[in-house]
Amino acid sequence: MSWFRKPSSTPLWRDEFPVFTADERYVSRRQFTKFLTLTSFSMMVGNLWILARSTLRRPATWPRVPVAAAGEIPVGGVRTFNYPAADDPCILVRTSAEEYVAYSQKCTHLSCAVYYEKAQNRLECPCHRGFFSIEDGSVLEGPPQRALPRVALEKTDGQLVAIRMEGGLV
Amino acid sequence: MNAKPPQNRGLTAIDGAMVLIIVLLMVQIWLLSATLETYLAGHREAALPGAIISAILFAACLALYRFVDRLDSQVRRG
Amino acid sequence: MFGMEFYVDPSRCIGCQSCLKACEECDTHRGVSMINFDFIDREATIATAAYVCWHCDDPTCAQVCPADAIKKYDDGIVGSSLKPRCIGCSNCVLACPFGIPKLVPQYEQMMKCDMCYDRTSVGKRPMCATVCPSQALAYVTPETIAATRREKPVNTFWFGNQKITTKVYMMAPAGTPEIAIDVADYIWEGDHELVPQAF
Repeated sequence: MSWFRKPSSTPLWRDEFPVFTADERYVSRRQFTKFLTLTSFSMMVGNLWILARSTLRRPATWPRVPVAAAGEIPVGGVRTFNYPAADDPCILVRTSAEEYVAYSQKCTHLSCAVYYEKAQNRLECPCHRGFFSIEDGSVLEGPPQRALPRVALEKTDGQLVAIRMEGGLV
Repeated sequence: MNAKPPQNRGLTAIDGAMVLIIVLLMVQIWLLSATLETYLAGHREAALPGAIISAILFAACLALYRFVDRLDSQVRRG
Repeated sequence: MFGMEFYVDPSRCIGCQSCLKACEECDTHRGVSMINFDFIDREATIATAAYVCWHCDDPTCAQVCPADAIKKYDDGIVGSSLKPRCIGCSNCVLACPFGIPKLVPQYEQMMKCDMCYDRTSVGKRPMCATVCPSQALAYVTPETIAATRREKPVNTFWFGNQKITTKVYMMAPAGTPEIAIDVADYIWEGDHELVPQAF
């Protein structure tokens, strides 16, 4: 680490453990400033990591996953499923006789599982009281900043199939 | 002539530099969280300006640290 | 800070040892005196000299301490060893050109004069200077010294080629700007009967 330190006539240990108490105030301040600079560096690394991740292109192929049969779920009922991978929980809600909506179940705040509150007709996260609209997954209230990623559904031969995830990372 | 006078002169400048660094750090924290939220929402285009500004903030922090270091070796005995 | 400095004049010392007793009274080191008291040549003379720590500008004891136990404070006083840090290695005892620090075996701690820091930091005189009847140890303003003494205060010492400047002044005859100490002067040689025992 010798390049990081200004050239000095005294060795590092003499600088860090000074004989004069007046100098000790400088040592503690310099060490604290060094710590702050390291914190700043680590945050810059964080931003660069996000940049690196954003330039990676995810493969554009989405799997087609059957979720439920068209008449299986009652109106106002709920089915949970996994899409696109086995560890991505999603929630399907039948909002009316003809309409089904599906969203990722991970709350965009801190990933607690959201549930459908029929009385209020909205998706609720119990952890920190975040509320999402059932129409488009946008945030109604609470700490979440982002809308819930939506799962695009297709009705084929009486089957509801998840075909794509919208609004999330990809 | 005998007792060295207390080296208080440089301390004020160093304290000022530290406060400035802390302010820059708070901005950088906010920037990181905002960039992360934007990226997770799918808007990849925010990543590049976020990284550039974060790098600028870090460069400013580094410059202030080097200033403190220079002041430290100037004022101290040696 | 209060404008007073410490002046040592060994020629005034009468050997009463009041300074030793007064120093011992301090509660922080009860019973252990920090005065370095010398009989100059007890066989031949009754001359004595009492010394306190010279509180050097660049304290050698602090420079050599491996435990970072000796500190020099803003007003120039070099403290005695810090109790949690001193390991009793005697590095400072060996290094001090004036031979001031003493290792106290029962505490395994170095102890030396700290100019009664609890007193001098609030403007009082150190215990030794307060009780010395001849004012061989004096803690007064420079103006008082200049007005009352013929000798002049000196705080620069030479040990061979090494220059030491101190906070405490030694009174020396006028015209002596620096005091050079030749260690060889203190080495016994020749036909002295104690030479075989010394080396």
